[in-house]
Amino acid sequence: MKHLPKHLRPRRRYLAVELESWPDADVSRGAFQRELWYAAQNLLGDPGSAEADLSVLGFEFEDGAGETVVRTRVGDVEPTRAALACVDEVDGHPLWVRVRGVSGTIRSCEERYLGRRAGIIGESNVVFENGRRTAFVRDDALDVRTPAGFAGATKLDFE
Amino acid sequence: MYEAAYVYPDGDSTTARFAHAAGAAGYDGVVVRAVDGAGRRSAGGPAYDAVRDAAGVDVVDGAEVVAPDPEHASGAIGNLRPKHTLLLVRGGTDRLNRFAVEQERVDVLARPMADDGDFNHVLAKTATRNAVHVEFDFGPVLRSEGGHRVRVLQRLRKLRKLVEKYDTPYVVSATPDVHLRLRAPREMKALGEQVGFTGDWIEQGLEAWGELAARNRRRRSESFIEPGVERGRYEKDD
Repeated sequence: MKHLPKHLRPRRRYLAVELESWPDADVSRGAFQRELWYAAQNLLGDPGSAEADLSVLGFEFEDGAGETVVRTRVGDVEPTRAALACVDEVDGHPLWVRVRGVSGTIRSCEERYLGRRAGIIGESNVVFENGRRTAFVRDDALDVRTPAGFAGATKLDFE
Repeated sequence: MYEAAYVYPDGDSTTARFAHAAGAAGYDGVVVRAVDGAGRRSAGGPAYDAVRDAAGVDVVDGAEVVAPDPEHASGAIGNLRPKHTLLLVRGGTDRLNRFAVEQERVDVLARPMADDGDFNHVLAKTATRNAVHVEFDFGPVLRSEGGHRVRVLQRLRKLRKLVEKYDTPYVVSATPDVHLRLRAPREMKALGEQVGFTGDWIEQGLEAWGELAARNRRRRSESFIEPGVERGRYEKDD
């Protein structure tokens, strides 16, 4: 079918989204999109999700952190933000979803808000809970591997 | 705007990590809700002053009394009140909710609608009179689904109606126990709007933590002697 003339095409907004989890987390685009749709459907209902028409573009996730662009319709930015807030975990990995900014095009969204996150720069040994533990360092933040899972700390905790 | 968090050892992230994350999310500060006053002392973490300087956000020294009944809570309140800037009492039963709102010494009645707890017009009026802030816990709204979330929302709605009617002071929190469960203020506002609150209402609830902390710090400072009597500049008589 012939595609719509420009003035009739749906108007979109793109949310630049930052993702954070523990260093061992592995989150794929498909899994994240599934959770987002699920969250949107639970919070906004079927009509609200249809209205927002969410989709996940340009997904990147590595070493427990990532970023992505979420597409929504103009006027549905706030409901989308609320649905993103309700994405609590993906495949059992706790996930912090943070909206960095909103743009009218994918390109400006990526240029203005994304590509600045810090990767894991290394591992170090720390003493935590009276035992030697491995910690993954990202900026000032340290994720300490403990027998019960991970614990969040910063460099300040080990000075 | 402030968020009140369960820090290590009650939660999985240290005070410093929460402060770091709260700064990134756009909060002005973090309230440490140390269960029964544990937290910093048992964890042996850095001093709150050092955390404030490193993270660039405020850290409020709070304690949350968790007790099975008012008799146990009463002792803990007397014990913790002089030591902490902010004192929360966890509700969750009718007796505890009633007890907490009747105590002027209590700053916040935490999670009144959790478990079997309920709230009514009498408690709302009492809370207003004693300036006890009632907490709206958005944690289960963010992290649960289905029938459980429906019931949580129903209870929050009931609480909101009472708080609005009797002008009861309130606070809003996502009750995170790990920094990954923090949600930025704008996200909290957007969520609130979806579930029947307004953005301004949520913002006021997040601001209230900071106002409480500022009030209590002034009261605990050396220049404050008792209500109506403060040290200040006076004319010198020689």
